[in-house]
Amino acid sequence: MKKTISFMLVSLLFVMALAGCGGGTKDTNSEPAASGGGDSKPAGEKVKLEFFQNKPEAKASFDELVKKFNEANPNITITQVNPPDAETVLKTRVAKKDVPDIIGLGATDTYAQLAKSGLFEDLSGNSLKDNIQPAYLNMLNKLTGSETVYGIPFTANASGVIYNKKMFDELGLTIPKTWDELLATAQKVKDAGKTAFYLTVKDSWTTMVPFNSLSTDILGIDFYAERAGGKVKFDSPEFREVAEKQLKLLDYGEKDLYGKGYNDGNTAFAKGESAMYLQGVWAIPEILKANPDAELGVFPFPATNDEARNKVISGVDTLLAISKNTKHPEEAKKFIEFLLQPENVQAFIDEQKAFSAVKGVNQSDAIVQGFNGAFESGAIEDFSDHYIPGAVKADTIIQGFLQKKDIDAYVKQFDKEWDKVAARK
Amino acid sequence: MAKRKAAFYSMTIPALLLFFAFHTFPTLQGIFYSFTNWDGYSDGYDFVGFKNFAALFQDENVLNAYLFTFKYAIVVTILINVISLLIALGLNARIKFRNFFRGVYFLPNVLGVLIVGYIFNYIFANAIPKLGEMLGSETLAINILGSEQWAWIGIVIVAVWQGIAFNTILYLAGLQTIPRDLYEASDIDGAGKWQTFWSITFPMLAAFFTINMVLAMKNSLMVFDQIVALTGGGPGRATQSIAMLIYQGGFQGGEFAYQSANAVIYFIVIVVISVFQLKFLQKREMDA
Amino acid sequence: MTKKRSTNWFITILITLGSLLILFPLYMTVSIALKNPEEMAESIFSLPTGLHFDNFTRAIEATDFFSAFKNSVVITVIAVCFILLTNSLVSYAVARNMNHKFFKGLYFYFISAMFIPFQIIMLPVVKLTTDLHMNNIPGLIILYIVYGLAFNIFVYVGYIRSIPIELEEAATVDGASTYGTFWRIIFPLLAPINATVAILSCLSTWNDFMLPLIILSKPESYTLPLVQYVFQGQFSTDYNLAFASYLLALAPMVIVYLVAQKWIINGITQGAVKS
Repeated sequence: MKKTISFMLVSLLFVMALAGCGGGTKDTNSEPAASGGGDSKPAGEKVKLEFFQNKPEAKASFDELVKKFNEANPNITITQVNPPDAETVLKTRVAKKDVPDIIGLGATDTYAQLAKSGLFEDLSGNSLKDNIQPAYLNMLNKLTGSETVYGIPFTANASGVIYNKKMFDELGLTIPKTWDELLATAQKVKDAGKTAFYLTVKDSWTTMVPFNSLSTDILGIDFYAERAGGKVKFDSPEFREVAEKQLKLLDYGEKDLYGKGYNDGNTAFAKGESAMYLQGVWAIPEILKANPDAELGVFPFPATNDEARNKVISGVDTLLAISKNTKHPEEAKKFIEFLLQPENVQAFIDEQKAFSAVKGVNQSDAIVQGFNGAFESGAIEDFSDHYIPGAVKADTIIQGFLQKKDIDAYVKQFDKEWDKVAARK
Repeated sequence: MAKRKAAFYSMTIPALLLFFAFHTFPTLQGIFYSFTNWDGYSDGYDFVGFKNFAALFQDENVLNAYLFTFKYAIVVTILINVISLLIALGLNARIKFRNFFRGVYFLPNVLGVLIVGYIFNYIFANAIPKLGEMLGSETLAINILGSEQWAWIGIVIVAVWQGIAFNTILYLAGLQTIPRDLYEASDIDGAGKWQTFWSITFPMLAAFFTINMVLAMKNSLMVFDQIVALTGGGPGRATQSIAMLIYQGGFQGGEFAYQSANAVIYFIVIVVISVFQLKFLQKREMDA
Repeated sequence: MTKKRSTNWFITILITLGSLLILFPLYMTVSIALKNPEEMAESIFSLPTGLHFDNFTRAIEATDFFSAFKNSVVITVIAVCFILLTNSLVSYAVARNMNHKFFKGLYFYFISAMFIPFQIIMLPVVKLTTDLHMNNIPGLIILYIVYGLAFNIFVYVGYIRSIPIELEEAATVDGASTYGTFWRIIFPLLAPINATVAILSCLSTWNDFMLPLIILSKPESYTLPLVQYVFQGQFSTDYNLAFASYLLALAPMVIVYLVAQKWIINGITQGAVKS
């Protein structure tokens, strides 16, 4: 009996291997066409382009847009690639000179590094940028330190505080406008026996969300450019204020806040386990997935007692760039042009709860209304960590600090790591 | 005879060339980059001599990663060997369902490290805290992976859970090579269990002990998959192993050349430890 | 001497308790994969009340399971076959010429590669494979075969040297070529150690995650462990979906193990004793 089973199993494996081989050969045959993408081709043949983007949350939304584009342009085929750990993958691919044709990326340090290495096509003279809100174009220029346009902003995100409307009503809370009010609100929640903030320290990147608000509002976004120029230090009273406030937030977190990650936080907050959640709008679709009936709202994180200084933290969530080495820049531009069409931007931001970088397209979702005032009045500022070199590993430093709670060691460590990375360049 | 030699050369030379091309050549390239300041993606780079190596020795993060890795590797190696030896002795005793249990204890070895890591991640984050609540224990009610002090224990648990499988089978194989009459002779001499173990079992297992120690040590010095699945190196840098630091710094942090230098040092350390272990343990084997 | 000793119940109980520790995480995996969120909310430890196989259908769809499964099978089967055929041949040449400088050097050259941390060659290998258009499944298979040499030569050479050389000498006298001798006389004798090598390389290839991660760039060529990593983010809070997917990824090897358990354990035991 046993023998028969193993015999069957082996034959099964063998058949599958054969079937797989057949499939495998087919794969390799089609490969040159797919990856080459730009081999000189007779007129009328399909142009294949690769669209690489870094947001796993947005994969499905982009899939729809890509499908629509491919149908409307029978001579062009776009393929979306969205690998895990996309920034690392992109860097490795750049190292092997295999840059995707079209790239969708956040305005992060990675983008700045790659743009500075001259990988992206110069789009300064292109009409693509004409319909984009200048604030976002400026953000990119500031990041790369040059006036050349390497990427076209597509969408923006925003981060601050997401709150549970139902719980706020039940406890009779109002939206805090200053740091003191925020603490008072948190205290009331705590007194009611509930958790004010659901903190997710186990995933280090989530600690950057409140940090970005505190740092940008208290220090100003230019702090990091000045730090790079050696004019200021982390070991300063201003930065210590950021550190103290970071620690203060821990007093109002849930019990095992060091043991919880982003996914735990999304579920717990969706189920009403805390009144507030320090996250960006990108978490909203995930929260709604865990509980479609959650009543959510947002407000800017009040980092200081001066209302005018409390900004919504907003950066370019996805920008679109074209590889300098692509064989089909015209078709690539056509795809970007297509993505930037108002109806397509609208469809995308509705699903993603993101904001548009294109003029005249607005985010009307009730949940994120709380940020609209800031967007209208221009009370928005970029993420601080976009200006911190990746190798400094700010998230790791912060995660360690929230455990040890030693402010002196923390500010010194930030200075030390920054100098160390700078010295290596 | 010459024809025979020619045949032997033709068997090995293609392998040698392939191995050189896909292993040695990349290694040399890696060593080469460790003397540059290449970030991994820019077009150009400069030679910086031994600057990277000098900086390594002043980098607290590097020191931290080495300390963590050694602490982890020593604890895991000892635990794996002690526990798997005990299990092997148990399986070799007169027990019921021996083959069934042998099968169970080997099972973790066929499972992928990454997926096992994800499963344990859930257990540490949810199952054990729930258990702690039920038992009213404060210590169990928190996620051990979130604690700067104890997260490394979580990784040790997963590595040991999976690592004992292979070593148990090796020890069991060793135990079965020991002739029965040796024990019977010792029985007649009236030696106690403990005495029998130290005077017969353990010396007879010496070769297995050596190979198990070296394998367990080498694997735990290179720990990576478990950390990806469990903590990502955190909290802070509390569980950042050397392999993890090289990967994160080299690929995400854009300091490829610097971490290549780190990898060169890491290589030397692994070789030194392995050679030392082999020499020491083999010497003991002889003495025993 | 002939007295039959009875079962040692004390040790049997200890071994049983220990095996529960081994089985507990697997029990959790299976039960969570079969539950739905409501059952999870009640108790995460209890047995599932109904069997929610829809978790599996969703996981198969979400991760494109069959494509990844096919890739893993193709890679593992082909790599293991070629490892057995080529690595044993190389080892044979080395084992029979250990008194010769070149071959002895070769032996230590291959073995020393075991100590080189993979991180040092990672990026150069990625570059190299791309330049050679090997960033695909066939390329990955070649890398497994070549990298296998480091460990396998160590195992094979020890074993081959224990085979009396007289056997081959007789064949050589009869006029057989060196290759002929190997395939007809030595290779069949290697069956026990081939089993060991086959099992170990099969496990390490099937479960490997690092090499596919950096080599394969197209989603349609992803392997099973890689797919778990890729979808980690997309599972987000749906633990039932995630665990169903983990279970699917673990199941093929576990089934093979259950069927061929005795053979697998004997294979490894043999290899350990003989080399």
